[in-house]
Amino acid sequence: MTVTVSPAAESAVLAGEPELPDILPPVKQRRGITGFIYRHPAIAIGGAMLSLLILMAIFAPLLGTTDPAALAPSKRTRPPSAEYWFGSDMMGRDIYSRVIYGARVSLIVGFAVAIIASLAGLVIGLVSGFVRWADSIIMRIMDGMMSIPPILLAVALMALTRGSVPNVIAAIAIAEFPRVARLVRGVVLSLREQPYVEAAVAAGTRTPMIIIRHILPNTIAPLTVQATYICASAMITESILSFIGAGTPPIIPSWGNIMADGRALWQVKPFIVFFPAIFLSITVLAVNLLGDGLRDAVDPRMAKRL
Amino acid sequence: MDRRNFLKSSLSVGALAASGGLAAPAIAQGAAKTLKFVPQANLANFDPIWGTQYVVRNASVLVWDTLYGVDSKLEPQRQMVEGEEVSSDGLTWTFKLRSGLKFHDGEPVLAKDVVASLKRWCPRDPMGQMIKAIEKELVAVDDKTVKWVLSKPFPKMKFALGKNNTPIAFIMPERIAKTDPFKQITEYVGSGPMKFAQKEWVPGAKAVFEKFADYQPRSETADWLAGGKVILLDRIEWVIMPDPATASAALQGGEVDWWETPIPDLIPILKRNRNIKVDIADPLGNVGSFRLNHMHPPFNNVKARRAVQMALNQEDYMRAVVGSDDSLWQLLPSFFTPGTPYYTDVGGDILKGPRNLEAAKKLLAESGYSGQPVTCLVAQDQAPLKAMGEVTADLLKKLGMTVDFVATDWGTVGQRRASKSPPGQGGWGMFHTWHAGADCATPAAYNALRGNGDSAWFGWPNSPNTEKEITSWFEAKNAEEEKAAMGRINKAAMDDVIYIPTGFYKGFQAWRSNVSGVVGGPIPFFWNVKKA
Amino acid sequence: MLGFIARRIVATIPVMGIVALFVFSLLYIAPGDPAVVIAGDQATPQDVERIRVSLGLDRPFLERFGEWSWRILHGDLGTSMFTGMPVTQLIGQRLEPTLSLMVLTLILSIVVAVPIGVLAAWKAGSWIDRGVMGFAVFGFSVPVFVVGYVLAYVFALELEWFPVQGYTPLSEGLWLWFENLVLPAIALGCVYIALIARITRASMLEVLQQDYIRTARAKGLGQRPILFLHALKNAAVPIVTVIGIGMALLIGGAVVTESVFAIPGLGRLTIDAILRRDYPVIQGIVLLFSFVYVLVNLIVDLVYTLLDPRIRY
Repeated sequence: MTVTVSPAAESAVLAGEPELPDILPPVKQRRGITGFIYRHPAIAIGGAMLSLLILMAIFAPLLGTTDPAALAPSKRTRPPSAEYWFGSDMMGRDIYSRVIYGARVSLIVGFAVAIIASLAGLVIGLVSGFVRWADSIIMRIMDGMMSIPPILLAVALMALTRGSVPNVIAAIAIAEFPRVARLVRGVVLSLREQPYVEAAVAAGTRTPMIIIRHILPNTIAPLTVQATYICASAMITESILSFIGAGTPPIIPSWGNIMADGRALWQVKPFIVFFPAIFLSITVLAVNLLGDGLRDAVDPRMAKRL
Repeated sequence: MDRRNFLKSSLSVGALAASGGLAAPAIAQGAAKTLKFVPQANLANFDPIWGTQYVVRNASVLVWDTLYGVDSKLEPQRQMVEGEEVSSDGLTWTFKLRSGLKFHDGEPVLAKDVVASLKRWCPRDPMGQMIKAIEKELVAVDDKTVKWVLSKPFPKMKFALGKNNTPIAFIMPERIAKTDPFKQITEYVGSGPMKFAQKEWVPGAKAVFEKFADYQPRSETADWLAGGKVILLDRIEWVIMPDPATASAALQGGEVDWWETPIPDLIPILKRNRNIKVDIADPLGNVGSFRLNHMHPPFNNVKARRAVQMALNQEDYMRAVVGSDDSLWQLLPSFFTPGTPYYTDVGGDILKGPRNLEAAKKLLAESGYSGQPVTCLVAQDQAPLKAMGEVTADLLKKLGMTVDFVATDWGTVGQRRASKSPPGQGGWGMFHTWHAGADCATPAAYNALRGNGDSAWFGWPNSPNTEKEITSWFEAKNAEEEKAAMGRINKAAMDDVIYIPTGFYKGFQAWRSNVSGVVGGPIPFFWNVKKA
Repeated sequence: MLGFIARRIVATIPVMGIVALFVFSLLYIAPGDPAVVIAGDQATPQDVERIRVSLGLDRPFLERFGEWSWRILHGDLGTSMFTGMPVTQLIGQRLEPTLSLMVLTLILSIVVAVPIGVLAAWKAGSWIDRGVMGFAVFGFSVPVFVVGYVLAYVFALELEWFPVQGYTPLSEGLWLWFENLVLPAIALGCVYIALIARITRASMLEVLQQDYIRTARAKGLGQRPILFLHALKNAAVPIVTVIGIGMALLIGGAVVTESVFAIPGLGRLTIDAILRRDYPVIQGIVLLFSFVYVLVNLIVDLVYTLLDPRIRY
């Protein structure tokens, strides 16, 4: 029973270092991109899909599309063919073009709602967390707003005005920001008790600096994760609003619109609903994956919680 | 019987038998006498004088009866009336009611009920308003006789009382007819062949009608609103389904029996089904309408209106509305219904032939159009209107006009079109609607054709020429003169662009093959309909 | 304990008050004039004014709000502007279908999601786990109506196992009632199942790492008692929380599902009322749904105390 000694170990021993036996193979630490993908598959896949979709939306005119609003009623409801890659809808418009351009609306709605709701929620959550007398009032109002199911709230808000992309964004953002406010407030409250924050207060640092230096960095992570979920939820809510008829105007192609238009014909011409449904599902899936991945990366403890 | 129904019925029968309930044959019979009908729209309110929607009228003909009723040739025939007398100077009309007419609550129909009902109907109906304007007296002479004295002759009286255009002159009990014509009634009692089961009404979902055992149908065969309205069903359920895909699937599965307005794209699949029959719903079809606002720019200038007329391609509109079946539509260079005796297309050349976009743009420029947005009210919940709205947005853009597209629901369109404000302040520039062919056969009940400015239908066209020619039609003494007058009316209305017809189209209705007696017409007629 | 319940109930009053104010003012500032709609096409301005006064639309905001709140507290939700029927009656007609759908979906979702979440946690890291989580993410991503249409096409039209649409009241037979609700419940439940499965898995994972589980295993307890007796009970709090919060999703999704499957429930009533601007109905329904949501969360809080003796208020 001899223990073979490698030349490297030999020289190490000769150099005076303790030599560890080779009972475990060295752990291969993959570096670079592949390493990243291996460690965070969700972020990688989700991010890649989302980036592709964003590129598709930006470069829509270059992807073999025609004018998405161009009517040709004599060529309506044609199945997919060489001329109409995804078929044509009830007004003879090219579904492929509408789906590609529709990505713009859905992505814009998703991101805009996520950003607006996050910012609004951040501000309100910060105020609520720091200004004690305002806290219970604000939280009661937030509770009240959260008690109204978001879809009903969004539809009711849309009923007040006419359908347009900014209105849809505003309606959905209003329905979503209370949850963000709650989240931020929770973080602020827990952070306020931390020793380093108390120390900063004792040292005389003014509140804005405390917020910027200590609170904000710690809210960014959960906020970002929440924002991705809001983005996904907003895209689905937009499609439901369009389905009900309370969403973006039909002139502007959005995936929800295209599906709403084609819903009467799903039995005979399923391709009208099918293609936007696939794209919407893939996009929402990508955003959800991204959110999951971010959450796992940001807080491994939270990874097990949700 | 397919597997599901077999399972269902055996379970239900088993359960009932186990509970010692009704005998099996009775159940089977009961089910066979209920007809499930999918109407064109929701029955939200049910006052046919107050609400002028077609669906309200269609439901109302089951519950209320009328003094006269038009047949399939649009000739008024006696219905509740046993006989009428007109004085030799044409100024006094005396109507005698049939005997044995009863209301659903058991009370007999009396002349005072008729008087009250007519008084409620007149302010809401254009022909009724014309009669009221020349009315000297409307009284109940005795329990069965009504006298109407006028200051000028009104030869179209029977037609006015028996027409099928809304609002129909329904006869209600006096206490209900006393309701303000601008408020809804809350009790739905009539003398029609069916009773309304108010307790089972779920607005937006279901409305139920039950056979009225004491109804006395006339002896003549039923023909539209004329003749004996014999009911061969015990119960009719109106099931409201806003989603056409669901309605189509329900019809295919036998869960409903008759669908009033299947959308054209789903017709092929219904035709292929061996258990479903499909036919034209109304031979008198529909006239699509591009209604312009004559009160405000840009369409207050006749040149701008003519520019749209020049550029408008009826084929695009019709294809968008009815799809690929060419037998369902035709070009309409006229305001009147093709296939009717007085149809004319005199003066409608501007809508015929290849479209001239360049000339239209030039004409638009001449009208002084300088880029004001045209507010288009487009109802999304009515498939033909939604389709027409999108074609219009495209058309106006091609003409170089700025489009302010307001996508909303039919109820809101109904509300906004009443506004006389300028477009920037809640007003409107154009909206789409359609008129049943039955309403467009002659100028008699054709509100949308009038050009009397502020008192006209929405859009308030001001066309003295059209008004003059319409008056000449009312004063025509024979068929020759009427026909000539119609030609003149058409030309005048086309020249002043009262509105722009977008084409003439027909729709289908579909029903299960075990249902017989379904006829085509402007109203779904339930008399003589049987379910095997 | 009773004190806690009383305090929680009192705490919901200001919340409901805010909801009421919000809902009321929302529609007060809406554009469009209901009096014009009601008066109809042929009305003169005098007629419109008459209708306006009779509806009380000419009185100041606070007075109308006060009167409205007072009536609400007495159970009078007003009268629908379009049908003339009392709102409580309209809601009552439509309550059973929606309630049935939601209860069935709730039961279905819990029965399906909790076991697969437990399974995924038990076999964490394996392909079962990844499969379940993958399916869960899918459940979030596909819109409810698409799932509904696909289910209707496959199971109702093609296979003819279930009816395509409609609702049969419970009084007409248990099986009939059930078969009308199966497809809608599955469609509606997809999102809910995804949510509950994920949280179950996450919560179970956390619990399974605890020391007392390790002790139980060391003691020789079998897998099933560990999972269900010890782990699940302790993991239950977040699961119950999510069930409560997810009610909002259910309510929102019910609206769409009722449209697709032609179920005459509250969801469709809401949509119709909103599109028609039938204010009393909209107000009544939003209040009702919010109240239900608040109630459900109250129950959830109470259930906490049953599940976790450490949680005492």
